[in-house]
Amino acid sequence: MIIIYFSILFTIDLSAYNWDGLSPVREFWGWENYRRLFNDKVFWKCLSNTVVYFVITFVIQNVLGFLFAAILHSDVKFAVVHKCLIFIPTIIAPATMAPVFRLLYSPQGMLQALSDRLHLGITVDWLSNPRTALFVLMSVAIWEFTGMSFILYFAAMSQIDREILEAARIDGAGNLRVVWSMVVPFCRGTTISLGMLGVIGALKTFEIPYLITTGGPNHATEFLGTYIYRQGIRNSHLGYAAALSVTLLVLAVCGAFLTNRLNKEE
Amino acid sequence: MFDMRSRKKKILLQLILLLMTIPYAVPLVQMVLGSLGGIGLGNYKAVWDTGVVPVFFRNSAIISAGVIVLVYFFSMTAGFAFAKLHIAGKEVFFWLILAALTLPEVILLTPLFVTFQKLHMYNTFFAVILPSAALQLPFAILLTRNYDTGIPDALIEAARIDGASPVKVFWYVILPLARPIASSVTMLTLINAWNAYLLPLLFLQSPKLQTVTLLPQFFQGEFTNDQTKILAAAVLTAVPEIIAYLCMQKSFEKGMSAGALK
Repeated sequence: MIIIYFSILFTIDLSAYNWDGLSPVREFWGWENYRRLFNDKVFWKCLSNTVVYFVITFVIQNVLGFLFAAILHSDVKFAVVHKCLIFIPTIIAPATMAPVFRLLYSPQGMLQALSDRLHLGITVDWLSNPRTALFVLMSVAIWEFTGMSFILYFAAMSQIDREILEAARIDGAGNLRVVWSMVVPFCRGTTISLGMLGVIGALKTFEIPYLITTGGPNHATEFLGTYIYRQGIRNSHLGYAAALSVTLLVLAVCGAFLTNRLNKEE
Repeated sequence: MFDMRSRKKKILLQLILLLMTIPYAVPLVQMVLGSLGGIGLGNYKAVWDTGVVPVFFRNSAIISAGVIVLVYFFSMTAGFAFAKLHIAGKEVFFWLILAALTLPEVILLTPLFVTFQKLHMYNTFFAVILPSAALQLPFAILLTRNYDTGIPDALIEAARIDGASPVKVFWYVILPLARPIASSVTMLTLINAWNAYLLPLLFLQSPKLQTVTLLPQFFQGEFTNDQTKILAAAVLTAVPEIIAYLCMQKSFEKGMSAGALK
């Protein structure tokens, strides 16, 4: 029992460090840091990036994960090969893949070679373009996390009673009809869990933008995580980084709370 | 889920699947092709000859093992307590832990840095193992609690009537029954601990202690931005991970589904 409490205290303790490290600075400045934060264009850019990033990656990666799971639960050949290819990105560290993606989306990469071969006349320099860099990062995130959505949907679908689906087919329901009206509702629980993890994950986003673009060009791919790092560690604006951190924490807790409420209502 | 009766439709489904999978292979192909640029296989030799790759692997293995032991131990005990024991204020503690689930590690960097320097733990494995384990515990506890809640109370009561203490109940009843969720917790912890980047980057200064995720950075210094060698290092890092996954694939999938079913 002591051990159990130790683990609880350890977690609480950890959040306490957070406060300890930050609160003296906060007291000193009062609300000044927060006032600055609300007038900081980069802060709002971080928020809008996070929202765009969450919505797009969440939808694409779950639709893909769901489709992969449904197809691989059907009668297809080489299912194991496909399964492995989808899941391998989840295992390899983003830090290991970052140089690969920097090359892939540069004029020296494979995409450029492909575009040249097909005479598309596109110059692939998407990482240094502020308008496209965020989309590149989203593609990396989708590549990385579809495996997770896939494996959770795959597990959920193995719980479906095949006879019910069979009965619907005998009643004349087509494939799309069966998937849309029976399999999708069945997996709703999984979708909601993935949504909750997705909200928290999007707010925490750090490694992919930090490793590939370090938030640039010109803050186009800045997220709260990278901005806190930039302000706190690089520029030593600890007080400001602390205010950002607290804001991030509040947002994350609210996000988790809201998705949890949604979950209960279902 | 899709029931394709005719041959034509079967081939169509197979084609769709293939088209969907190809983008997932592209970065992997790029990694291998890129690593063979310039002096070809010589890149691998140059990377290997630095002699650091096995050291970085060993360090990652030590850290992952440490994190797994801590997370396994605390998530199993805490999951059981939250699911089955009657403790005053249990719900409050549980909410505190769930709130910690949302803690991003960037926020903790400064306080952790100060703490570790005071405790002389900076630049040791502990500086990475302890916070990684603590950051992974909330999710692990959540999974274990949900799983343990599904274990029938009657089993525990029967053991209690036979005179078993809570510790014995935990050891002889809960632990064997919770094995599926334990393997899923272990797998998730392994992936996260092995792939951790930020904590090793900041808390492990000497190259003798650094982990595989820092290899690209190390070689960026070593070969002054020779892309091909950095990619060769990436391949050398990825291959053992892929092989390990392929070997454990079956138990991995089972473990993951145990976690998903609640």
